[in-house]
Amino acid sequence: MILVLHLIALALYLTAWVLQLRGFRQGKALGELEVTAVGAGLGVHAAGILLYALAYRSLPLVGIGPASSSLAFAIGLFVFAASVRSDVRSAGLFLLPPMLLLLGEAILMGIEPAGRQIAFRGPWFVLHVSTVFVGYAGLAAASAASIMYVLQFRTLKRKEFGSVFRFFPALPALDRLNKIGLAVGFPALTIGLIAGWSWTLTFGRGLALEDPGTILGIVTWGAYLVAIVARMRPGPRGERAAVVSVIAFVVTFAAFLALRITAGETGFFL
Amino acid sequence: MSGSTIAMAGLSHRTAPIELRERVHVDADSVREVVPGLLEASSVEECVVLSTCNRTEFYIHSADPASAQAAAIEVIARRGGMDTQQVEPHVYRSRGYESVAHLFRVAAGLDSLVVGEAEILGQVGDAYELGLSLPNTVGPVLHRLFQSARAVGGVVRSETRLGHGAASIPSAAVQLAIKVFGSLEGKTAMVLGAGDMGVITLRCLLAEGVSQILVGNRTVERARETVAQIGGVAVSMEGFWDELSHVDILVTSTASTHPVVDRSSLSRARQDTGSPLLVLDIALPRDVEPEAGALPGVFLYNIDDLQKVVGEAEEARRAEVSPAERLVTDHATRFWRWYRSRAVAPVIRGLRAHGEAIRLEELERLFADLDAPSELDRERIEQATRRLLNKLLHPSTVAVRRAAIDPNAVEFLDSLRAELGLDGPPQVPEGERGGSHGLAASSRSAAGPEEARGERTNEARG
Repeated sequence: MILVLHLIALALYLTAWVLQLRGFRQGKALGELEVTAVGAGLGVHAAGILLYALAYRSLPLVGIGPASSSLAFAIGLFVFAASVRSDVRSAGLFLLPPMLLLLGEAILMGIEPAGRQIAFRGPWFVLHVSTVFVGYAGLAAASAASIMYVLQFRTLKRKEFGSVFRFFPALPALDRLNKIGLAVGFPALTIGLIAGWSWTLTFGRGLALEDPGTILGIVTWGAYLVAIVARMRPGPRGERAAVVSVIAFVVTFAAFLALRITAGETGFFL
Repeated sequence: MSGSTIAMAGLSHRTAPIELRERVHVDADSVREVVPGLLEASSVEECVVLSTCNRTEFYIHSADPASAQAAAIEVIARRGGMDTQQVEPHVYRSRGYESVAHLFRVAAGLDSLVVGEAEILGQVGDAYELGLSLPNTVGPVLHRLFQSARAVGGVVRSETRLGHGAASIPSAAVQLAIKVFGSLEGKTAMVLGAGDMGVITLRCLLAEGVSQILVGNRTVERARETVAQIGGVAVSMEGFWDELSHVDILVTSTASTHPVVDRSSLSRARQDTGSPLLVLDIALPRDVEPEAGALPGVFLYNIDDLQKVVGEAEEARRAEVSPAERLVTDHATRFWRWYRSRAVAPVIRGLRAHGEAIRLEELERLFADLDAPSELDRERIEQATRRLLNKLLHPSTVAVRRAAIDPNAVEFLDSLRAELGLDGPPQVPEGERGGSHGLAASSRSAAGPEEARGERTNEARG
């Protein structure tokens, strides 16, 4: 049943993305159908997560499948929030693909607990993983907004009035989404990293700098700290903030790929 | 009422020059004078006048549509200061389904000068409301026709993107401003030069929420004249650069033969400003050095760029014309079915009355033959015969309703009326009965939709 619910959620998210793609191709504003698809997808996804929690008496935070599902859900909350506000609804064009990949990965890998649960329990661990996921989801929203900002900005400067001009939101709306993503994502990631460190201390260990998850967390935290500092500097802010956010995203994604390729067995984090 | 149909006569931007359209235009007061005259002098039963700067059309429900249309055209000719022969090349007329479809296309903005423009839908509603305010002018047919037209206009706009995107240079300016600033609430706009296009653009920006207007000109007196028209504050050329530091939107439309805003001056004026500046250079030759567009935070567009925005929007609108036409045809067909089905209501009533008369006659004979049937038996027999009659008449009623929307069934309905002894000419709308104003049944089916169509001339073909 957990798998079925995840498959239904995947289909609904896919529908929402197809609507986004069609809107982009035709330069059409998105209607309520897209919001409904995302909302219904989230509802079904939440039911799947709830069923998992009831079945295994733990949140789906450990193991590639469960963790991917939870992270996809966290991003989905941002997509839904953006969809409800019609001025940034098209942000789903960029946010839905990572959700689809994560959920697809969860379904392929199996949404069942990994064999490490006993160690990965306790409030510190739950706080650590859930806030890190909210952090990553917020930063994903900020990154999507910044990529769209840069594209819309270039379109306006280059006077190309095609699909990007018509479909993408206005610059201030994208700047606002970037700001909200950072405002939610960065503190959540900070709390998550601190909680993770505290959690390792309970085992009598220090900061596990050899752990790929820790490395990625620190790299992401540093990259987006730079993005926040760039936002705070005086002068015309929008383009600068967006460009730095895009760079932060590229750095984070490159670090993720590099770690995933090189970490081997220990790269289980995602 | 017998043989009545919907008809239309008028002229529009497709058939008449603006000078004629201006003379012919029927304002609300004139409608109050003209329509009662039409209702008295001809066979017009209902009438609504739709008159805008781009069209003047008379929508009529009449038993004698030819003379009703002639009367409407006479009104047009009289207002245009011409005789009917002179005005004839500029007018078009239609009857029946074509009139319905035409009004629906008009309400949807498909017949507008700028395809998809929204104003016409309000004007259709105003014309109907004006008709309602006059005694005995709007009856059940035009009431439903105009209500349906308003609904179709709304459906086309909500289900297609026909009305989306910029349709003119000022609306393109607004669209760009919204992309740069999101909302224009609280923004400050300045126009340099007092050209008409600059003023129109400012009006559009004001309508979108721009809160402060500055008008700059070489001569402050001229700037003050513009301010008197649209409000705001007049600014001299000396004060222009100081004001530019806190302006969000600059519209330039001077008659200068060389650029009046150069990159370095603009850069200096904006050096302490963190917010973006949208520059709309709608002057020819251009007022702003093209290099100024490369400055950080400056979005510069000239008249060609704005035209490009309009062009892109037009292209997107053109792609929506076919779906919009389909919606119009669907709704016109639906309306036409309703209209024709109400014309066969007397036939159905006659059919039922005929059956009921036979039933009662037979019951009377039966009860006379029976030996004192009880009340219960009488009631049972009554109910049984009523059920029998309903079952027998059901297929016939369905057949008559189907015949109402079948152009080939006119003869059938005529003979049925004769058999039922219904008085007067058939109730099928006159425009759908072939003859000089209708199309032959064979050509109707080819013209689709399958329902009958009336004739249509001039603009209606375009």
